Amino acid sequence: MVRDGDFVALFNSIHRVMKAEKELKARGLPILLIPAPRALQTECGLAIRYAATERVAVEDALAEGGVEPVELYVKRDEEYVRIR
Amino acid sequence: MKTIDCRNMACPLPVVTVKRALAEAAGEPLEVLLDEGAPRENVSRFATNRGFLVQERSTEQGPVLLISGNPLAAEQPTAKREGATVILIGSDRMGDGPEELGRLLLKNFIITLLDLAATPDRLLFVNSGVFLTTEGSEVLEALEKLGNRGTEVLSCGICLDYFQRKDKLRAGAVTNMFTIAESMLQAGSAVRI
Repeated sequence: MVRDGDFVALFNSIHRVMKAEKELKARGLPILLIPAPRALQTECGLAIRYAATERVAVEDALAEGGVEPVELYVKRDEEYVRIR
Repeated sequence: MKTIDCRNMACPLPVVTVKRALAEAAGEPLEVLLDEGAPRENVSRFATNRGFLVQERSTEQGPVLLISGNPLAAEQPTAKREGATVILIGSDRMGDGPEELGRLLLKNFIITLLDLAATPDRLLFVNSGVFLTTEGSEVLEALEKLGNRGTEVLSCGICLDYFQRKDKLRAGAVTNMFTIAESMLQAGSAVRI
C-alpha cells in the first residue's frame, strides 16, 4: 500500500492518529490511514500515507492542527528512510 | 488444451477468469491471451505464486501465457489446503464499540490481508459491508490489489439495492444469496467479520 516515494507518518497513540486523519480529511487532502509497515516499530500500529506532491499541504495541516507525527519516513527503493 | 481470451478486461477480471479456468482445467495446461502491461503481469504473478509453471510468448494478438503444472500434486499432504477460505464481511465496521474505531479496524483488516502469505479466496460483502466496495470507500485500492492476487470480491445485490449503491459499485462484482450461502457452506474455512 506504500509506493516508492510515498511518505509515511507515525504517531504515538491511536487518538493522535485518528485526530490527524480527521484534520487532513477536513481539508480534503488525499491521505490514507494504513496499518504501519512492519519494518517500522509503532505503538499504535497505524500510520498515515501520502504522496510526495501532498507533502507540504499535509505537514502544514498537521502542524496547524497540533498533531505532528513523532516519526516521518519516505519509501525509497523498498526501504523506509527516516527523515524526522 | 483450453485457450481463453482475457483481452479487453478491466482489472482484476483477468486474474479472476484465469483462476476459475485453472480450477476447471483440473491440472490441464491453459493458454491465456492477455493485454500487455498490468493484466499480463498480474496473471503471471498470480499463477507463479500458486505454484504453476508460466511460459510466455508474443503473438500478433498480444502476449500469450501458457500455464501448466498441477500445484496440488506438488504439495506435501500435511500442507494440503482443504477448500477455499471465505471471509464474510457483514458490516462496515469491526467489533462492537465506537463506530469510528470499528470502521478504522475493518479498513486496517482489509489492508493487512495484503501482507499475508495466503490471501483469502473470496471476500463476501453483505449488509453495510457494501459501503467498502462502493464509491467513497477507502479500501478500493486494497481490494483491487487483492483481486489481482486472485481474491474474488463479491457484494450482495440486495444490500446494494437497499442502500441505493448499485451504480456505485467500484470493486468486484454483484452476487446473490445463493452464491453467498453456497460459498459459506462449501468453504474449507469461513470467517465472519
